[in-house]
Amino acid sequence: MPKKLKTRLSLFILLGWALLLLGDRVDELRVYQGASIAIYAIAIGSIVLLTGYSGQISLGHGALMAVGGYVAALASVEFGIPFWAGFILAALISGIFGGLLGIAAARLSGPYLAGTTLALAVGLPSLANQFPILGGEQGLYFDIGMPPQQLGESFTQYKWFYWIAALAALIVFFLLSNLLSSRYGRTWRGIGSNETAIALSGSNPQRLKIVAFALSSALAGLSGALLVMTISTASPSAFPLALSLSVVTGAVIAGVSSLKGVIFGSVILVAIPEIADAISHRVGDTLRISSTLPGLLISILLVFAVLVTPNGPGENLRHLLHKGKSHK
Amino acid sequence: MLKLINTILIGLSTGAIYSLMSISLVLVWRSTRVINFAQAGQAVFSTYIAYEVALRTGNFWLALLCAVLSGAILGAFVDFFFMRTLFKRVTSGPIRAIAPVVATLGLLGIIRSAVGYIWGVEVKSIPAPASTDGIKIGSDVLPFSTYDALVLLIVFVVLMILTFIFQRTTLGLSLKASAFSPEIARLSGVRVDLTRTVGWAIAGACGAIAGVLATPNSLLSPNSLDILLVLGFAAAVIGGLESMLGAVVGGLILGLGVTFIANYVGSTLVFLSAFVFLIIILLVRPSGIISGKRSRNA
Amino acid sequence: MMGNTTRKRAILASALLALTGLFASALPAQAAEVGVTAKEIKLGITSPLSGRAAAVYGKVPGAMDAYFKHVNANGGVYGRSIKLISKDDAYLPTSAVAQTNQLILKDKVFAIVGALGTANHLAALRSTNLSGRGIPDLFVNTGFSAFADPAKYKTTFAVLPSYRMEAKIMAKYIKDNLANKKIALIVQDDDFGIDAAAGFTQAGLTFEKTIKFPAGKDTAADAQGWITNTLKPANIDLAIIFATTSTTAALLGTAAALAYRPTNGWMLGSVGGDSNTLIAGKVPLAILNGAIGFNFAPDPQDPTDEYVAEFKKIYAKYVPGSTFDLTVIQGMNSAMLTVQALRAAGTNPTRKGLIAAIKAKGSTFAHAGFTPLNYSNSSHVGYNGYWIGKYSATGALLPIDGKRTIYTTDSGSGAVKVITSARPKLPKDGLPTNK
Repeated sequence: MPKKLKTRLSLFILLGWALLLLGDRVDELRVYQGASIAIYAIAIGSIVLLTGYSGQISLGHGALMAVGGYVAALASVEFGIPFWAGFILAALISGIFGGLLGIAAARLSGPYLAGTTLALAVGLPSLANQFPILGGEQGLYFDIGMPPQQLGESFTQYKWFYWIAALAALIVFFLLSNLLSSRYGRTWRGIGSNETAIALSGSNPQRLKIVAFALSSALAGLSGALLVMTISTASPSAFPLALSLSVVTGAVIAGVSSLKGVIFGSVILVAIPEIADAISHRVGDTLRISSTLPGLLISILLVFAVLVTPNGPGENLRHLLHKGKSHK
Repeated sequence: MLKLINTILIGLSTGAIYSLMSISLVLVWRSTRVINFAQAGQAVFSTYIAYEVALRTGNFWLALLCAVLSGAILGAFVDFFFMRTLFKRVTSGPIRAIAPVVATLGLLGIIRSAVGYIWGVEVKSIPAPASTDGIKIGSDVLPFSTYDALVLLIVFVVLMILTFIFQRTTLGLSLKASAFSPEIARLSGVRVDLTRTVGWAIAGACGAIAGVLATPNSLLSPNSLDILLVLGFAAAVIGGLESMLGAVVGGLILGLGVTFIANYVGSTLVFLSAFVFLIIILLVRPSGIISGKRSRNA
Repeated sequence: MMGNTTRKRAILASALLALTGLFASALPAQAAEVGVTAKEIKLGITSPLSGRAAAVYGKVPGAMDAYFKHVNANGGVYGRSIKLISKDDAYLPTSAVAQTNQLILKDKVFAIVGALGTANHLAALRSTNLSGRGIPDLFVNTGFSAFADPAKYKTTFAVLPSYRMEAKIMAKYIKDNLANKKIALIVQDDDFGIDAAAGFTQAGLTFEKTIKFPAGKDTAADAQGWITNTLKPANIDLAIIFATTSTTAALLGTAAALAYRPTNGWMLGSVGGDSNTLIAGKVPLAILNGAIGFNFAPDPQDPTDEYVAEFKKIYAKYVPGSTFDLTVIQGMNSAMLTVQALRAAGTNPTRKGLIAAIKAKGSTFAHAGFTPLNYSNSSHVGYNGYWIGKYSATGALLPIDGKRTIYTTDSGSGAVKVITSARPKLPKDGLPTNK
């Protein structure tokens, strides 16, 4: 094993350990939110991979998450496949679906791709109403079962979700960071900035783009499967357009050019509704305020984030850290 | 036969509304390189203005006029206070592709919350200026109504006005020039920034008309124009994003397609087929049906 | 070397974390019941306050809160005031789960009341495991019959009659009054519709035409298609609309525009049959006139009903300027049931005690409905039937021929019965005094 890989592996194991201990220390609500953060991190990671590393844009990743969610639920409901295998299958099938989509996507430039993926996000979930096996509007009941007995009496369902989601996120980011620091990954990075140079160096930019789309879709599918796990249900309304857009939002907040900010973006996505709720309770409790203020605050923060730190606060933070290092 | 005629007529009148929304997106895109998602919010705000005016005066035409004015003002406002700041700050790189998308989405959220706060979530409606009852042909009643015919007429008039502005006036020339080659336009004395703001105002007005025209056939709520935006965007993409003619053609094609599928196949598949349609058209022509005068790798 | 020091640090750090974790978890057990203090009882509700569904259902928390405020202003429940914490789920299952978690884990509410939407609450109920945790889930605002199954959901209590009951009662009425007519059914294609379809099958009613449509898509274009392509060519006598208010409104509005009416008119399911909302949705009164409708509660336009008069007064005081409609009556009625359940749970209410109290005394609570409440040790069913009426020229639902016939049944294979109502009298000023 190369030395670099070894240190990276131990870093991830250490991180996993810290997360595990953290899960024991915080209360049930935070444990649940921890699971959501891990799930959003994977979803945001899929956008960062797509946009930051291969220069493509997608406003329809919610639809790919739906593919993964339904695959996982179907695998368990129809075929009785164990949930972890269902998750792998979810990533695989969404990846294949995404690859096919990527063939079309690689031909399209920015706004055309944005429009197509947007239509996908609005259209695809309605497919569930077309086939009875997908459970219609009500969706499919997806239950991964209680946590294993060995973990003890006090081990809650949410902690189980958290463990699964956090482990999945760790594995995903470990594999990704290895891939991206490999030569293949570095070539990839070039597509976003200079397609011609890539072509001259002997790689096929179209093919690289398609692979990026497929990989990104696989990640989205996995996060969709995990999302379905936490809400026990795969239904069309679990994957609204708003989900696609909020994942993109998270990616912008995280900074699209590097994977390192994803955790920042996902924490913000999970925390914002709660913060907004707290503020709206302080400002006033009339129905009209409490129903519009959270949305308003989120939007203002979003606009503010883009106007003040267009490359994402995550990016700015990193620049700051880099400066600190170089001054040392 | 009657069903076919009806489907075509309804398809055209829905498509006409998509066309207007599509035009408003195209106008902004070609001058600013931004897909303005906030347009759904700007249009809904203006439609609420129309609702207020219609409620107080009972005059649909006055309501429409007020909506057009408020749409134009809001459009100019968004460009002046918002887009100019954004573009001073956004640098290059991959963020350039999605920062404006996220920014306009944020703006959409702000406008929608404000509308929800001012008017509440209970649905509102604007009475149609003409009968929404189907037109009678012999003993049969065609679902196509007098109001739907009026929509077609209004959109036609608006298109004529726009064509006149863009073909025959200095303003139109400046708009076109600064959209397609801002540098040359600036050198020939066009105030590019101001012209762009005027373009945003015209786009805002078109969006407002689309919103007001769509409302008598359905209901008004803070979210009611979201789907119109998505379909308008799809129409713009089909039409090639750069040309107003493309926007109109895209809107009509999409309107006809959606109505045919709803009437002959089933309403469940409407959005999915819009997507499939989009994919097919783009696979054949990756930059839309009507190509503009310059390459679109932007 | 590098790896070694990292590992040492990791062990040290984790030991430290584990230690603090140990102490943190050894906190003393809670003395009183969650969500109950000397001065206050906290309840929670999730419902759509934003998004598309808000227009119709967004009024429920406000209506409930109005009633709670009325009770609080008059001494509360044994001196405790009721605080209703309302969360917006935008009618999305993911948000419903997240918000229910907030209510349980952060706001630490005593019970969930009036949760809204079948798909949303089903997701929330399953994911947060209300049943296993013993958290009361009172008077859910959906007629999905599984919610009233105590074997599945131990702490959930239904209040609305199930869709299946409604379908059986519709079938009974049709067999008695409209036998041998060509009937069409227009039904939402989800559990809401499936539940109803099961009821029709149970009653042995068959349809000339059945139109299934997905929830949430209710464009006028669809309705045009249904009328011109399906209903009209088949010469339908009676069309049953088993759909939400927005779809019902779209369909009736389009029918009016096309001057279409089935020979014997329309029959509207209770979910989409609130005339105030339909009229706000631009359904012309003319087409509503004479349609058959179902309701378990009094009509909001009924001036002679004591519950309507009292609720209307309270609602106008606490939510001025808002239309008083059937959704408001149902919300306030559920709030009134909640107050009585809390009173019945005693001066030191516990979650267990609350559930036991509803099982033991729930059927004796005062309420606005015309059918009895069916809570018992083995039943979590609230109302079990409807009275049938026809819409008047002003949109009020009036008993047919001036006589209010009340039908009851169950969600299983039981027969449909006609009963005479013995509705409990309204407590003075709408303030329950039960024990």
